[in-house]
Amino acid sequence: MPDLRTEEFVVNMGPHHPSTHGVCRLILTMDGEKVLKIVPVVGYLHRSLEKICENRTYPQCIPILDRFEYVTAMSCNYVFSLAAERLAEIEVPERAEYLRVIMLELNRIASHLIFYGVTAMDIGALTPFLYGLREREMIMDLFEMTCGQRLTFNYIRIGGVAKDIPAEFIPYCRKTVSVIREKLNDYEGLLNENPIWLVRNKNIGVLPPDVGIAYGVSGPSLRASGVDYDLRRDDPYSIYDRFDWKVATRSNGDCYDRYLVRLDEIKQSVRIIEQALDGLPEGPVKAKVSPNFKPPEGETYARVENSRGELGVYIQSDGTKKPYRVKTRGGSFNQLQVLPVIGTGGLIADLVAIFASLDIILPEVDR
Amino acid sequence: MGLIKKVPVYAERIPGGSLVLTTLETVLHQGQAKSLWYLLFGTACCAIELMCTGASRYDFDRLGMIFRASPRQADLIIAAGTITKKMAPRLRRLYDQMAEPRYVIAMGGCTIKGGPFYYDSYAVEKGIDHIVPVDIYIPGCPPRPESLLEGCIHLQEKIKKQKLLDWQEK
Amino acid sequence: MTPDELKDAVAGKLGDKMSLLDTGRMVPMFEISAANLLTVAESLRDDAALKFDYFCNLGAVDKTERFEAVYSVASIVHKHRLDFKVILDHDHPEIDSVQEIWPAANWYEREMWELFGINIRNHHNLTRFLLPDDWDQGNPMRRDWDAPDFEKLPEL
Repeated sequence: MPDLRTEEFVVNMGPHHPSTHGVCRLILTMDGEKVLKIVPVVGYLHRSLEKICENRTYPQCIPILDRFEYVTAMSCNYVFSLAAERLAEIEVPERAEYLRVIMLELNRIASHLIFYGVTAMDIGALTPFLYGLREREMIMDLFEMTCGQRLTFNYIRIGGVAKDIPAEFIPYCRKTVSVIREKLNDYEGLLNENPIWLVRNKNIGVLPPDVGIAYGVSGPSLRASGVDYDLRRDDPYSIYDRFDWKVATRSNGDCYDRYLVRLDEIKQSVRIIEQALDGLPEGPVKAKVSPNFKPPEGETYARVENSRGELGVYIQSDGTKKPYRVKTRGGSFNQLQVLPVIGTGGLIADLVAIFASLDIILPEVDR
Repeated sequence: MGLIKKVPVYAERIPGGSLVLTTLETVLHQGQAKSLWYLLFGTACCAIELMCTGASRYDFDRLGMIFRASPRQADLIIAAGTITKKMAPRLRRLYDQMAEPRYVIAMGGCTIKGGPFYYDSYAVEKGIDHIVPVDIYIPGCPPRPESLLEGCIHLQEKIKKQKLLDWQEK
Repeated sequence: MTPDELKDAVAGKLGDKMSLLDTGRMVPMFEISAANLLTVAESLRDDAALKFDYFCNLGAVDKTERFEAVYSVASIVHKHRLDFKVILDHDHPEIDSVQEIWPAANWYEREMWELFGINIRNHHNLTRFLLPDDWDQGNPMRRDWDAPDFEKLPEL
């Protein structure tokens, strides 16, 4: 048979594409189904949050940074408050720390449930989406009864939390976590052994640990490659050392392991929440912080573990009530950087699976 | 199926009952209003609420609304989330690719007037109504799923009230 | 290592090239001259006791008379973290790229180049990043930047 004349061609994926989780554009050079080159183009959601924060007071920055990573907005509230508290050396009351941990872990579960549904939908299964978002609504109810919002909370403030939880929170929270613990079996039953799911995910997009570390990949995506690194344990903040929980890791680093690590994390979060509810002390929920909060001159970079990896905020203070400079860093920024490295050479259909399994969302990249 | 079995029984009792007189306009607009397919166009926080509305608890499908990934199959574009200056030409292009009659819902503060990013931002488009014509505005940051559902019901009312030749003159 | 031990360890090994600042909170903050950046970065990554192999963050600060580039690096093995900054001239800001040492720095440097107008030496991909393709209004994150449609929040 004579050789067919083939040529490379360029495909533009995005910025409006259902499997790019927002507005990412990938310029792909293709040879048939094979991806030869990936060039990510970002900035379609660049809202200049850092510039806005320069002209806001410290408490006013928190609702702006809510929109920086809206899927887990609690950790955005938290990381900014943490940095400001470190600058001004504020002690946070015991009860507030417990409430913060409960909220952060609930938000982590909510985010992983979105991951579970959306990833399955990208690969072609619609049912997990309906299952995952059903239980997520219970967590949204909890947030709503606490702070009145479903997505952008402005709940964790400098020196504590905005207000105490209502009386019906604790019984409903216990019910929610026990429902989620029970439904995890359903989630695993739907996908873990599903032949289509296995073919689409096993040994696809393998991320070697050294490449992951070099490119700054963090969170579940790095732990799936066998790197045992979790900021909750390794750069301690809040009161995570009081609870009995394990860091979830896997060893293969493919899409399937990244998915399994996130399901494992839901289990660990459920454990942390149950222990925190048991140990919740009485007392005030906010330290005395003046509305004209002015930290002394100085600078700090605070980082926490959110559902996508390392979420960091660098604040430089010049002693006035507005921060001189706020720089934010999200896990997805580095995960998208590593996508060309692990996605090149594969098929275009695999690229969708890799993109989804790294759990990239674009507001963290563009800010 | 109950309806199909029962309607003829009642209709027979009315003189001339099996005959229904109505205008073409009503039939056409009823059909249009009850099968609004929307484009999956989510850019920011509102997209998560749009997802929740489409999922189990709020069930968008009961209004006849199903998501479409391609603008050529969609009747409605729900602009969910911040539109930046870099994204604005793409929104216009997607709108241009849709077939008439087409509708736009501006969901959330950002699409109405820039929302929390109105001041001090160099990159956010202050409202989308100078890029595409907007039919319904839904305030909120982000709006609750109930608000979105109500906005869509208002759009259905609007479609039912329009005249047959309206969209041709646009 | 605790922050104080880390301070001594870094000062002992690289004390002639790095000077300790007192502005850092929780984590030690050092200052490096722009000429020494690459050698210091390489020894921070390769030294067995320090082993800063993980790049956390890089952000520029416009101090109106000078620029500061603030780096945060961490070690996966030893689980400690370090911040350091490089002071740059305001009229001709220029800095070496560290992406040979930490590949993760690539996009952080692109962002710094685009939003602050700091030139990155030996960076092979300085192209439009976050701003629109037809952007012609300069470097918006500079403190003195202004544009016709840019509105500041009114003081109450």
